[in-house]
Amino acid sequence: VLLPRTAEQVAAILALATEHRIPVTPRGAGSNLAAATIPEHGGIVLALTRMTTVREVSSAELLAVVEPGVPTATLAAAAAAQGLLYPPDPGSRTVSTVGGNVATCAGGLRGLKYGVTRNYVLGLEAVLPTGEIIRTGGRLWKDVAGYDLTRLLTGSEGTLAVITEATVGLLPMPATSRTQVAYFDQLADAGRAVAQIIAGGLLPATLEFLDRRCINAVEDYARLGLDRQAGALLLFGDDGGGDLVSASLDRMAQTCTDLGARGVTLAQDVAASEALLTARRCSLPALARLAPITLLEDATVPRPRLAEMVDRIDAIADRHRVVCATFGHAGDGNLHPTIVFDPADGDARQRAEAAFGDIFGAALDLGGTITGKHGVGAAKRPWLTARLGADQVALLRRLKQAFDPAGILNPGKLGS
Amino acid sequence: VTAEPDPAATRSGVFDDGLLGACISCGFCLPACPTYQLTQDERSSPRGRITLMRALQEGRLEPDDPTLREQSSFCLGCRACETVCPAGVQYGALLEQWRDHQWRGVHTPPAVAALRAGVRVTAGLAAAGRVRGAAWTTGRPLPGRVHLMLGCAERALFPGVSKAVRRLLPEVDVPAGQGCCGALHAHNGASGQGASMAAELGRALPGLVLTTAGGCAAHLVNHLGRDRVRELSEYLVELWTDGAAPALRPLTVQGRPVRVALQDSCHLRNGMAVTAQPRDLIARVAEYVELPSAGTCCGAAGTYSLLRPADSRAVLDVKLDEIEAAGVDHLAVVNPGCQRQLIEGLKRRRSRVRVLHLAELLALALPATSEP
Repeated sequence: VLLPRTAEQVAAILALATEHRIPVTPRGAGSNLAAATIPEHGGIVLALTRMTTVREVSSAELLAVVEPGVPTATLAAAAAAQGLLYPPDPGSRTVSTVGGNVATCAGGLRGLKYGVTRNYVLGLEAVLPTGEIIRTGGRLWKDVAGYDLTRLLTGSEGTLAVITEATVGLLPMPATSRTQVAYFDQLADAGRAVAQIIAGGLLPATLEFLDRRCINAVEDYARLGLDRQAGALLLFGDDGGGDLVSASLDRMAQTCTDLGARGVTLAQDVAASEALLTARRCSLPALARLAPITLLEDATVPRPRLAEMVDRIDAIADRHRVVCATFGHAGDGNLHPTIVFDPADGDARQRAEAAFGDIFGAALDLGGTITGKHGVGAAKRPWLTARLGADQVALLRRLKQAFDPAGILNPGKLGS
Repeated sequence: VTAEPDPAATRSGVFDDGLLGACISCGFCLPACPTYQLTQDERSSPRGRITLMRALQEGRLEPDDPTLREQSSFCLGCRACETVCPAGVQYGALLEQWRDHQWRGVHTPPAVAALRAGVRVTAGLAAAGRVRGAAWTTGRPLPGRVHLMLGCAERALFPGVSKAVRRLLPEVDVPAGQGCCGALHAHNGASGQGASMAAELGRALPGLVLTTAGGCAAHLVNHLGRDRVRELSEYLVELWTDGAAPALRPLTVQGRPVRVALQDSCHLRNGMAVTAQPRDLIARVAEYVELPSAGTCCGAAGTYSLLRPADSRAVLDVKLDEIEAAGVDHLAVVNPGCQRQLIEGLKRRRSRVRVLHLAELLALALPATSEP
């Protein structure tokens, strides 16, 4: 395990590793949802967690320059101190690092309105496996000199180069944000409400859903007073100027009511909104307490297919006799089917894996993808060809070869 | 890649597999861990320590590997990791099992062995309490009553605390013949003994057990159940609902309200989720000041301040800086370990901030007529 503090140290390590053909697995905080930082082939684990300097926050240029080990929440706080917003807010933001977020193109609760990590990466300093330090992009929103290597490295899961600095774009901090909750009898009704909200010309900051099993697990765990009889819970919210937010929430509440919501809970202020968001934030802990092992995936489908996808997930779960609850981002079709099981229960693990195989198949079938933002890692490599096709997988290999001729960087993952 | 050892042949059986299997290695615990914050070393984080526990359980490390011994003792046992864990890992229980193994037999630190043996003698505790002037005991316990537990350390170190409780709650009984609750044993390599002592105390004090020590409260909850145990602040908040509270007079100094900060008890906060009640009670008699690190460990951590004084002070120093910067008159505590740690720490700095148990602070606000 090596813990470098400078890009020069990273360069020296990688040059040596290439010379001696030693595998190197770069690593941020290692939340590792897709097994992307498992050093399958041994060698060096290159943890960037000691490179933690926020080098610059510029309110004039609306950007920040940070080292890769800076936690996402630290970047967001440094931006907020100057009245600025760093929008990507993955669930792991208190621990995850900016370097890891860039390497996996992390998402968050605000994807529909604000996009994901890739929309905010302006430039990177990165070390090639052969030891050269390159700078891609920079401080400019407009810059088309050369291939867009910044985007290529974003989401490359540590297989092409090691990120040693990121320049990220920021936005002015919205004046306020509020959230409300609507309950529906069927998830399909919630899906129609989402479609209607967006068709009506709104682009809300928050559109999250929980299915019935999730609602009950959260209620057992946190006792928030949720409606246990509902088939789906839809959290909707927006941020911006106070009047605009009120108008936006009123219209969304009306749309939900028009489309048959059984009830709408209005949060009057920021604190009440936070309490409602708790239902979404504690979905995973609530489900994890149902059984010893929790598997969380992030299959994603086009927004209009969301309800259909959840129906298919339920049918798949029944077929494989697994306990599966689904929550996720209704605004961008990013689902979190979560299977819990007890490893002592015979072939439970095999059944869970078989169910996920079918879930990925269903997502692809509906025009979706096997992973929205957690990454492919080692966990989803078997499904990558089904998603990309053989020609594209071969192109990935050639790109990998161009960056990493000795094949030392995170071997066994993307491009291997 | 090294060959996997034959699991059946080498498994140590130190840990409950269900508890150990619950960790999903996501690392959400790292920012919550005081020792990880000090070192930035994965081995000193809850996730790293569980990885070490798994290596011990599966026989991939020798039972007395130096890293195992170091990390099992370096951990404060504050359980802050449990509050941020999405998988609900019972880290405190795992640490008890780990120390049972690591501090077994001749591996017990001598100070721990002496303390564990010392507080086993109930008659000795009673004598210490009498010599130090703790609250007078009232003979035999009565079923259906509320019984104040006199902690083993608190009786000897801070007898004023139980006396203050007697002034606040004259109706509460303090039965004689009560021993130590066993938290000290459970946290220091003798969890079986800790469990039986808790059960013994549960028999000596039938009905509701009231305690002024967060560490004892959380241990008793584990063994007697939540219904039978109340920590003082939660008991008072339940009891003193509208109109039922005694007339407390606001505490002042030089014509202004006294400013009081709080040091949470880790096990009270992280194990029992009691956080609002002590703040509520302080605010009834003084101006409450929240320290940025009120909820993080002060480094006392039971025997930790004796066993690892340098690490204990490193954890404490951040907090002392905050206390001095906050401009408070008093610091309230809800556990005797924290009380000792903060008194010593502030004394070293010649600070004029006075450390008081919450019971002592509230007793200051009682009308003078209720002096015994």
